[in-house]
Amino acid sequence: MKIIEAYNLTKKFGEITAVDDLSLEVEKGEVLGFLGPNGAGKTTTIRMLSGIIAPTSGYAWIADCRTDGEIERLHESIGLLTETPGFYEKLSARRNLEFFAGFYSGIDVKVKVEKYLKIMGLWDRRQSRVGTFSKGMKQRLALARALLHEPKVLFLDEPTAGLDPEAAQEVRELVKKLSNEGRTIFFSTHNLAEAEQLCHRIAVIRNKLLVIDSGQNLRHRFFRREVIIRLDNPGGTIAEAVRKLPCVEDLREETDRLILVLAEPDKNRPELVKAIVDAGGRILEVSEREHPLEEIYLKLMREEK
Amino acid sequence: MSRKRIINVLLKEWQFLFTDINSILLVTLLPLLIVGQLIVYVWLGVTFAGEAALNIGIFQNALANLQRATPIVATLSGGEQFQVLLLSQFNLFMLLIPLMISISVATFSIVDEKLSGSLEALLATPVKTWELLLGKALAGAIPALIVTWICAGVFLLIVNIMGWGYLISMVMTPVWFISLFLFVPTITVLSFLLGVIGSSRAKDAKDAQNLIVFVVLPVLALIAIQVTGVIWLTTISALLLAIGIAVVDVIVLRIAVRLFQRESIIVGWR
Repeated sequence: MKIIEAYNLTKKFGEITAVDDLSLEVEKGEVLGFLGPNGAGKTTTIRMLSGIIAPTSGYAWIADCRTDGEIERLHESIGLLTETPGFYEKLSARRNLEFFAGFYSGIDVKVKVEKYLKIMGLWDRRQSRVGTFSKGMKQRLALARALLHEPKVLFLDEPTAGLDPEAAQEVRELVKKLSNEGRTIFFSTHNLAEAEQLCHRIAVIRNKLLVIDSGQNLRHRFFRREVIIRLDNPGGTIAEAVRKLPCVEDLREETDRLILVLAEPDKNRPELVKAIVDAGGRILEVSEREHPLEEIYLKLMREEK
Repeated sequence: MSRKRIINVLLKEWQFLFTDINSILLVTLLPLLIVGQLIVYVWLGVTFAGEAALNIGIFQNALANLQRATPIVATLSGGEQFQVLLLSQFNLFMLLIPLMISISVATFSIVDEKLSGSLEALLATPVKTWELLLGKALAGAIPALIVTWICAGVFLLIVNIMGWGYLISMVMTPVWFISLFLFVPTITVLSFLLGVIGSSRAKDAKDAQNLIVFVVLPVLALIAIQVTGVIWLTTISALLLAIGIAVVDVIVLRIAVRLFQRESIIVGWR
């Protein structure tokens, strides 16, 4: 079931087109990573989808609400973690959350505030002024704020930006936990490893949507699958025997390993292993080369330039 | 739901207002200074100018207006008539109290949200623009209104202490009460709405404070034209003026909502 649907979203600021003709769909319970360089339109897209700014053209539906028409109902259905946490620093963590929770209908403010302060590990600091909190604590508090009303869709705008590695890891763990609960999360980030670790699919944007797919599919789309065979006894006639197989499209030798491109990697692998063994090869390991997401991202960016 | 949200905004604003020593001093001391200032003017006028001031053309017109509105004034001595004339200015002078408070409180209301980065999170909640603006305006307007009423009591108390108590009945005319209970609330709401508009359109509080001048100037003009006798507020004209300002309040709230462009505030200001 689709919970986010965007059709031809375009946003122009004067002469500048921040987002151009963006269309995408996100399934309920999915975590979508939204990647792109600075100024690529990630925050603008999130702001359009969360009904904070209106698109110049195009439209979107979030949890059955038109983002340009049913703002109040839309805001009951979404949670937004903004790029800057933005709290009232003189007020306590608890009072801050109570204030924001006070705008939603049908929620028990005290119960929800307690629940999320505990989940985020901030219950002991509930009476402390937010001004005394570290960046990581503020980010966890901002996550709590975004979750108070149990939104159907959660928009996280670079939730780990500017955090130290430990705090960033804490936030990632929380996002993972939310994902495991089946929440739909729209996750904007610069961190490719983070996107791969947390997201079911990844969208890459540079003012317009460049690709959207799972990390694995993106690898297959951008790079040919390479099978790596590590041998105990490289050299001799093994490479020659392998090269003769009709399914082998390309073969490279590197010290103790053979790197192959197969016509149908999953199907051809047993045939390949047999040929190596028949040629006297002793196989130590068969694996597939994992291209880091970064390679795909950089390739995309270069192509766009 | 709207009432709950407006109260939510209002309570948060009060928490800020009443935990900040500068704001507390502003809301309490500034109004007392304004009252004290008027008392000093009256004392200086009576002590150093007295009856002779009535020979000045502008005061002659004002006194004639005062005598028409409150005939018993004519039975007093020249000096006392001048004193009543000066004391009668308090009903308009006290309008400066909410104006001064709004300059300092309302103008920061949206700017502060922008500076702290909380505005985007706030706009992502189901709060409607008019609920947010009205909540912020009332959060400043209600204390300002109460303080103004307290100041009116302080004014009467000081007038008595100064030994001018026998003149109070000539000052506390129906226009005085209309000013206190109709002008002050409507002008207070107006000034706070304009302060909030200024705050939502401005890049900083200073910008916002410039806008409030548009309310201060008409009030100062009103005081000037009354004290110079060009006009004198009668019960009917005061009532009509109060109703007019109430209508303006509603219009200004609508304008405030229109001018509050979420997009330009979020995107155009960093």
